Order: sequence, then C-alpha cells, then structure tokens
Amino acid sequence: MKELIKYIAQSLVDNPDLVGVSEVLGEQTSVIELRVAKEDLGKVIGKQGRTAKAMRTILSAASTKLRKRAVLEIIE
Amino acid sequence: MDSTEIEGKTIDEAIEKACAEFKVPREKLHIEIINDGSSGFLGLGSKKAKIKASIMSIDMAMDTPAKQIQKAVQKKPSVPADAAPASKMKDATDETIAIRAKKILEGILLRMNLDCPVTIEETPDMISLNIKGDGSGLLIGKRGQNLDAIQYIVNKAISKYADNRKMIVVDTEEYRKRREDSLLALAAKLAEKVKKSKKALTVGHMNAHDRRIIHLALQNDESLTTKSRGEGEFRKIVIMPVKKGGDWKTP
Repeated sequence: MKELIKYIAQSLVDNPDLVGVSEVLGEQTSVIELRVAKEDLGKVIGKQGRTAKAMRTILSAASTKLRKRAVLEIIE
Repeated sequence: MDSTEIEGKTIDEAIEKACAEFKVPREKLHIEIINDGSSGFLGLGSKKAKIKASIMSIDMAMDTPAKQIQKAVQKKPSVPADAAPASKMKDATDETIAIRAKKILEGILLRMNLDCPVTIEETPDMISLNIKGDGSGLLIGKRGQNLDAIQYIVNKAISKYADNRKMIVVDTEEYRKRREDSLLALAAKLAEKVKKSKKALTVGHMNAHDRRIIHLALQNDESLTTKSRGEGEFRKIVIMPVKKGGDWKTP
C-alpha cells in the first residue's frame, strides 16, 4: 500500500528523492502519510484536488482487495 | 575494431542499445545505419531498424573523413522534405511514450497486487493500454472510476516526461467499448426525445470523456445542437433543438 502511493507520487513529482511515505497502521484503517517537496505539493494535489482524488480512488481500490481501509493524507 | 549489429524498433532505440552495450556515450560510437526501419501502418508490417556500431578510436576518427562521421550523425534525425519519413520520426517518439506509459501502468498494478498483463495498441490519435483483467471489476470500479483514476495518473505522469499530444486510454475487459455503446444508445434515445418534444434536455453529470462521446454522436445531426454547461463536477450536457431560420441561443 505504502509502496503504491510512493510509486505514484514519485512518477508525478519533479523531486522523486524527496518523496516520503509513512504508514500508521490501525485495526481496520491505516493512514498513509505522504510528504513531498514544497514545490511538488501542487503536483500531487492537482487542479481542484483531482490528482489527490485519483490517488485516493486507486488506494481504496487496492485496499478493498486486502479487505482493509486506507486513508491518504498529504502532509504539508 | 570490433563492430556489432544492433536492431531496435527505431534508429534512436538501436543507438541507445548500442550505447548500453559498449557502455560509452553516443559521441564515442561510430554508427552506420544499415536499415532505417519503419513503423509500418498502425504497427503492422513494421521493420526493425538496424545499425552497425563500433567504438570510435582516436586514430579511426582521424582516418575516417569527417564527412562520413557527420553523415552518420546526421542520419539520425532524418527529416527529409517528404512527409512520410517525418511522420515516422513522430511515431518513433510516440513509441517510447507508449512504452513508458505501459511501464508506469504496470508499476501501479504491481503495487496494487494485481498481476495483470498490459498490451499496447496505437492509433494516430491515441495510445490504448489494455489491461487483461481478472474479471473481478475491481479495476473498473463504480462507473469506471478506478479505471479513470488510473488513466488520469498515467496521463499526468507521462505529460511530465514529454510533450505528449496523444491521449492515453487505459482499458480493461472492453469496458470503454461497452460504456461507449451504452452512451451512444443513450444519445440516440435522447435525440429522439428532443426532436419529438422540441425542448432542450439536460443530462446529468458525466466526465469529460463521456460528454465527448455524446457531443460526437450528435454533431452530425443538423436538427440538434449540444452544449456543456456548468463547472467541474457539475458540468452537464444540454441537448437542444435547432430552430429553423432563427439563431436560437441557450437560455
């Protein structure tokens, strides 16, 4: 799950080395925290949050397969 | 002087392979083009490009007339006056875009724990990536939202690399085709309704691609016009009759 978000974020940003992903595991729900370089923030959020929404959609699709829930947080 | 014959889809690709083979930068290779290669028509009847590559030694560079080296270098971006080879060059860059898109898509699928093979199909105005799904519908999602999200991300990731004019379409289990068919049926049904009632009809929110299908389906119908109204999520499509003689405007 973490790897998925990391991969997507890295393919979108200009500074892939500065992409950091951490996962806070919960019983049912895990929270995935994404950190990117300041200038790349717009790239992972997108116009009207479209990219962020797409990432969340993919994440939820991937997590249903594992019968879990995952929430994506983009940390400023 | 040892030389190797290398094949690639395009000359550029072959040269790249040669560079990797000899582990030297492109400038240090002597390249002779044996076969230009062609991408054929829609990928059919394509011929591989063949080059002969060897490491350029210092005395060899002195021996070889400068003209010949120049020729070999110039041959690479061959854009002669006639149109056909020019479009071939364009195809070459698209090819690498398609391969890159495929790699990104496969990377995403792999990390979603979906090990599905992807095939590429190219037409002059789009690159289709077809995922051979497991039939679970997980990739499609509600109203195709998962598929759309993946497609969006792939397009975004590609536009970062290159100025890509082609749309990249991600499909699985012929979902796009089925969706298009049902939208065309819907368009035809609505067109009938509008013609009968002579009143404008609004169709609920659809994404840009779906709206486009409706617009295209009805553009040849002279008794109807279509418009999109609203913003973002709430953008709707309006189908209205054309009033004869007058310039009928949207209310």
